[in-house]
Amino acid sequence: MPEVFIDGKRYEYEGDHQLLQFILDQGLEVPFFCYHPSMSIPANCRQCMVKVGQPVKDRESGEYELDENGDRVIRWFPKLQTSCNIKVADGMVVHTQETDELVERAQKDTLEFILANHPLDCPICDQAGECPLQIQTYKYGPEGSRFEVKKVHKPKRVQLGPRVILDAERCINCTRCVRFTDEISETHQLTIVSRGDKNYPTTAPGTEFDDNYSLNTVDICPVGALTSADFRFKARVWEMNQTPSIDITNGKGTNIDLWTRDNLVLRITPRFNEDVNDHWMPDEGREAYRVFNENRVSKPAQNLDGEQVKSSWNNALLTLAEKIEEHDGKEVLFVGSPHASVEENYVLMSVANLLGAKNPVFTPHIEEGYGDGFLLTDDQAPNTNGCRALGLDELSAADLKKEITGAKMVVLLNDQLVDRNVVSAKDIETPFTTVFATNHSETSKVADLVIPITTAAEHAASYVNVDNRAQRTVAAKETKYTNRRLDIEMSEGRLDRYGTSFDNWVTEDNKVDCMPFWNFTSQLADRLGLDLSYDTGRDVMNEISEKVPAFKGVSYSEMDANSGIVLEETSDKTVKS
Amino acid sequence: MAYEFTEEDLQEIEKIKAKYPEVKAATLPVLWVAQNRFGHVEPDVQKLVADTLGLPQAHVHGVASFYTQYYKEKKGEHVLDVCTCLSCQLCGGYDILEHLENKLGIKAGETTEDGKFSIQEVECLGACGYAPMLQVTNDQYVNNLTPEKVDDLIETLKAGKEPEYDQIGMPLRKVK
Repeated sequence: MPEVFIDGKRYEYEGDHQLLQFILDQGLEVPFFCYHPSMSIPANCRQCMVKVGQPVKDRESGEYELDENGDRVIRWFPKLQTSCNIKVADGMVVHTQETDELVERAQKDTLEFILANHPLDCPICDQAGECPLQIQTYKYGPEGSRFEVKKVHKPKRVQLGPRVILDAERCINCTRCVRFTDEISETHQLTIVSRGDKNYPTTAPGTEFDDNYSLNTVDICPVGALTSADFRFKARVWEMNQTPSIDITNGKGTNIDLWTRDNLVLRITPRFNEDVNDHWMPDEGREAYRVFNENRVSKPAQNLDGEQVKSSWNNALLTLAEKIEEHDGKEVLFVGSPHASVEENYVLMSVANLLGAKNPVFTPHIEEGYGDGFLLTDDQAPNTNGCRALGLDELSAADLKKEITGAKMVVLLNDQLVDRNVVSAKDIETPFTTVFATNHSETSKVADLVIPITTAAEHAASYVNVDNRAQRTVAAKETKYTNRRLDIEMSEGRLDRYGTSFDNWVTEDNKVDCMPFWNFTSQLADRLGLDLSYDTGRDVMNEISEKVPAFKGVSYSEMDANSGIVLEETSDKTVKS
Repeated sequence: MAYEFTEEDLQEIEKIKAKYPEVKAATLPVLWVAQNRFGHVEPDVQKLVADTLGLPQAHVHGVASFYTQYYKEKKGEHVLDVCTCLSCQLCGGYDILEHLENKLGIKAGETTEDGKFSIQEVECLGACGYAPMLQVTNDQYVNNLTPEKVDDLIETLKAGKEPEYDQIGMPLRKVK
């Protein structure tokens, strides 16, 4: 097997590798700025210099030439090489900054040049704390600067587009953003203008950077040159918690991280998943943090004489139980939702079955022509395939409207049917309608009973994307009834760990008075005398994998280990529909 | 103002495109076609070039802004690039520049009101042996300048004539 020696250690490899990526894959480190595994390699930051050599082979025998000590004779490249664009070759010997003083010196000097015109504004820079330039300057940089002349001034606070702001002085011209628009989003909106020490990235005159994926450039910017217009100055990165989750704004199931502080989701960034979204996510998905924070239904509400009044949980529970008891099971229509998780829809289905009601129905939320073949999909809901795999009955919007208007009582899982024009407000006024909702909407406004449930940011639950991939979320923000110190899955940031409820940066206001759907339903089942009880989404999923053939072998630990599981197509589905 | 290439220009552009395996490579020569036609490559002209070649506008803008010989704004009919880099500076480059500024009544970087002349202060043009010197509109060098020579040059250009080429021999190097 081909071999390569890095800092004196032997590694075997197969296939084609770029040296820098190979080094990183071994868990070693070489500093770099412009290299990005998903884009072309221009090698223009010159930071990843290493010393590389090849052993000398005897031309005739093909044997390695040996020196007097019996070691291979190495022919070193005449100059240091950028490791990002050099291919690993058999017998190659590599010295990084760990073992070679010249490499260490070269990297230090390159950094000194890069920093020559870089402003020292880390204390007010959004990138500080997650800035490759900052980190690598600490690790490999010079102790001071020998440049005594004024730094070059360039445009600052340039609104490149609706969502991205440029500070050209901070830019080190790695061209990652330009390559992103050229190679990934293919809008070609950015370019590097001017030259020498005056160059910086910008758009063509008179155009704006309104790419649907523009905020990815903020993520990949190795300095604070490109910042998000929305997130700018909102929080320092070290104050936030980072929790893995799934994008719920469309059917792609983009893997994301939720960044929370004091139980508010402050920003959303993409999380690498080779099989779904690579390193990227659409700008739209990042806006979803508002869904988790704003306009939330907190505390149940009941419609009394045409006015929604906040009610206690106990009253909500009793009212719903009473209403269900009043009706024959057949008269109650359970409506599932592609916007709700697999677990929630399954629990709804279980209740419906136990009550002898019709199998729950749902209607997909499709907007034709919305998708772009990349990360935006026609499907506006995260779990349409999950509903199908569970065996909910899929109806067209018109059929669902008919069902609802014909029903005496409707239990609607989080789906804003009025807002998306499936039914009119009038349609759901006639039957007694209970809405389990995360956010206030035109739909929840006209419901007879509104019961607040948790969002994807507050519970662990799974979603099945357009490619039939089941992936799950992790609770990122607390509700009134959860505590991150007691839930081992929830991440604890510095402020959570060391703060107390008496600190002025901690408030109770951001905790929403809501409950996971399965918890409320368990209470309801207890009240109705049904045999159904779930503690967590994990419990529900364990049962689903036992009972629903499509979900055989699916569990939280399997999903975590494989970053999602693709569901097998089962014959069961075709029978149902 | 909407810019448009003439039929001739378009034919020339087709010829240029045929020379290269990819259209992108035609950016530079086509920018020259545009600058020769309009006298500058303002953003609108850059857009025209981009649209004609089917390239991203940002790319054309990046290329045009990289090279100082492309004028990104309207210039006079004659652009006088006066060198003030080291050799010219030592031989009186700044005096020549000042003389020119006074004569035309504009500062470096400006254009005369009649649109005839622009002055630019530039870095080394590689003619240190004949300092001080200036270049006329990306083309002819006028060397060994004196105030009188500058006056003559202005008159020549005003008369619509081209300045004469200086025949400059290489100084003989003594070989021992």
